[in-house]
Amino acid sequence: MDTDVAVVGSGGAGLMCVLHAAEAAPELDITIVSKGAVGRSGCTRMVQGGFNAVLDPDDSFELHFRDTLEGGKYLNDQDLAWTLVNAAPEVICELETKVGCFFDRAEDGSIRQKAFAGQAFDRTVHRGDLTGIEIMSRLLDQTFRIKPRELGDVRALDLLLDEDGEVAGLALLDVRTGAVAVLRARVVVVATGGAATMYRIAAPAREKTGDGVAMCYRVGLELRDMEMLQFHPTGLLAGESRLTGAVLEEGLRGAGAYLYNANGERYMERYDPERMERATRDIVSRASYQEIMSGRGTPAGGVMIDISHLGAEEVERRFAGMVARTRQIGRDLAREPVEISPTSHFAMGGVVIDEDCQTSVPGLLVAGEDGGGVHGANRLGGNGVAESTVFGARAGDRAAVVARERNLRDPEPAQVAVSVERALAPLQREKGPSPFQVTRELKETMWEGCGVVRNREGLIQARKRIEALTEQAAKISVPGPPQMNNAWQEALDLSNQLTVAHTMIDSALVREESRGAHFRSDYPEQDDARWLRYIVVRGGQNGETEVSLRPVKFTRKRPEPDGPPAEALEVEDLEEGREDLKR
Amino acid sequence: MGEDPSLTEPNPSSKVRVTISRSDPGAERTFLVERIEPMMVLDLLLAIQREHDPSIGFRYSCRVAMCGTCTLRMDGRAILACQTPLEPGRNEVRLDPLAGLPVVRDLVVDMKPFFEEWARVRPYLEPLEGLDEPVHLKPDSPERQIIDPSLDCITCGACYSSCGLADHRRDFLGPAALNRAMVLIADSRDAAGPERLEAVTAGDGVDRCHYIYGCTAVCPKGLDPAAAIRRLRRWRLEGRPR
Repeated sequence: MDTDVAVVGSGGAGLMCVLHAAEAAPELDITIVSKGAVGRSGCTRMVQGGFNAVLDPDDSFELHFRDTLEGGKYLNDQDLAWTLVNAAPEVICELETKVGCFFDRAEDGSIRQKAFAGQAFDRTVHRGDLTGIEIMSRLLDQTFRIKPRELGDVRALDLLLDEDGEVAGLALLDVRTGAVAVLRARVVVVATGGAATMYRIAAPAREKTGDGVAMCYRVGLELRDMEMLQFHPTGLLAGESRLTGAVLEEGLRGAGAYLYNANGERYMERYDPERMERATRDIVSRASYQEIMSGRGTPAGGVMIDISHLGAEEVERRFAGMVARTRQIGRDLAREPVEISPTSHFAMGGVVIDEDCQTSVPGLLVAGEDGGGVHGANRLGGNGVAESTVFGARAGDRAAVVARERNLRDPEPAQVAVSVERALAPLQREKGPSPFQVTRELKETMWEGCGVVRNREGLIQARKRIEALTEQAAKISVPGPPQMNNAWQEALDLSNQLTVAHTMIDSALVREESRGAHFRSDYPEQDDARWLRYIVVRGGQNGETEVSLRPVKFTRKRPEPDGPPAEALEVEDLEEGREDLKR
Repeated sequence: MGEDPSLTEPNPSSKVRVTISRSDPGAERTFLVERIEPMMVLDLLLAIQREHDPSIGFRYSCRVAMCGTCTLRMDGRAILACQTPLEPGRNEVRLDPLAGLPVVRDLVVDMKPFFEEWARVRPYLEPLEGLDEPVHLKPDSPERQIIDPSLDCITCGACYSSCGLADHRRDFLGPAALNRAMVLIADSRDAAGPERLEAVTAGDGVDRCHYIYGCTAVCPKGLDPAAAIRRLRRWRLEGRPR
């Protein structure tokens, strides 16, 4: 099978890419590859908060840019962050006038923009508290106009390169039939979303298993900021139910909710006495995690959120969706405290890209959460769906140009064979561990060892554990037919998750400081003198991870107040990190 | 298939007896699942997958009622598995795939017929010429009062499966697609209103609805497609609201 542009993933970034590629070059043959239902997988649909964009004349790109860098603790790629900020208003306009979205209006009829944490201006465009579904539904509607080839329930196994190391296409597995195939493409766009599901308590949709980042890693691309994983402070705890980890919205804390530990103490007093529960996501997540880990959590390993003092009627009116979510599990947010925990939410790290989503492999583009650098060490609420759509659009524009310049190429046959053999192995093995058990252990390992608070010993333990789990994963056996076999698919997801877990732990070990979402209890301070550097990992020749450090380029803005220069790295730093990786 | 022995055994109260339609005639159909609290129908399926039969076919993604992919029938009624709790004391459940759609495997259906109808109403905005800026429109404008309560469709197919006409395949646009058409016709940014109205009030459009209200009764997002259909019939007589 051949196509001009193959887009892997059908969330906000993937569908925006399809739209832009088709508009820029209508003659192109475009193929969507999605291991779940097209347009109904991934996390963009679940977005609650909104979309940050500078629309008000009193706001400015400089201000949005500054907020984004301060949020990211100046680890961001400044050119990417600047691109996000500049393109966001155009994308809002496009969504409203071409795609058919309609966002909430202010009393005067203009687009309403609300306040959101960490921003100096009210710039978050939204539709009620369910912004993502409006964007995704309307983008999906556009596919009925554009009519791309839709390979729904088709998993991309691997990126295929030709003998010159340029993109040739994808190895595919049809989830419905179990058949494998090769798709040749002039351009491949990877937009699968991150790997935040690999934690015991996690918010994202089930598809988010780091497939794109793992695929890119396997063909030798550089990944950056992999230690930066954002935890949302208020994930619902619902026992063994799959609902555990689902986000209770940020607005609850903004509206005055209290957080209590199991002893009934408002513990934020000890962590941020001034802002209390309204402190930023990272601080509240860390405080809750430390309470839970110090034995002051509930028996189920949580803390309590209580907003009932606003009065049941008020809570029901303002947070109808969240009240319904708690009643579904037999609790009532309007009338009683509800058990919560920090929940794994979003990967800031990803593939190294430029402003046009290009990577170091010709013909291969990466967009959305799979890309790294836009958010630095922490993402602002409202910058996530902005990133997906802005960079999805740019990837589509670029794909249209590149597809015209490149010919179809033949993948190296050996690569195809390796990919297919690896994929089919779990189904062919007679005996072996269950993928569900190994996934559960992975989630436990990451939660304990590479979670909200990290330290050297814990990370080293986690690393050993991941190595053992990787060995187990190579022996997994799944029963049943090849058609629509969830266990088999879980085994393939797991393999990608383990690859990404490795890169996260390695990066977290090397960063011996605390910054943004990455907190090391053995190095609790932010260390700008040494660590205004980003960590890059890539797969080496013999399966080892190569780690390098690069100074952040302050192409547009230096840290405030005047931070120290990011001088060349001292050799010992790197050696120190490497030693940890060998232990 | 012979009598399933587990069906004749008494059901210990701590367990839930789940009967599932399976595609493979030889596959296990009945499972005794340990109860957890809280427990959604999706949790039942995940427990069966983990503890009993990893090959069971079902679909889910977001588990917070946004993706619309875990729709199935519980004791005949179309539900989202992720947001439907198993009530206390409930210890028998029957699960079937959605009606009126081809079964891929077990509880997984092919949504193609649903989206073919969705596509037939041209579900995308056809912007008015010169629409270059977001329109100024007050939140309480009559137009938004029609549209806003009818948005939020997650294309889960519950209404399609529950439509009284579902078994008489299939010359009816169906509730979800007609609801979408109504929204677009009401939208003052859309240029194709007259053609849309003509299309949805033609032979296989609104007149095929028998007002059984199955769609409105099951919509997991609380939408009212039957009201959208009534509105379209009225607009045919009175013209579009402008």
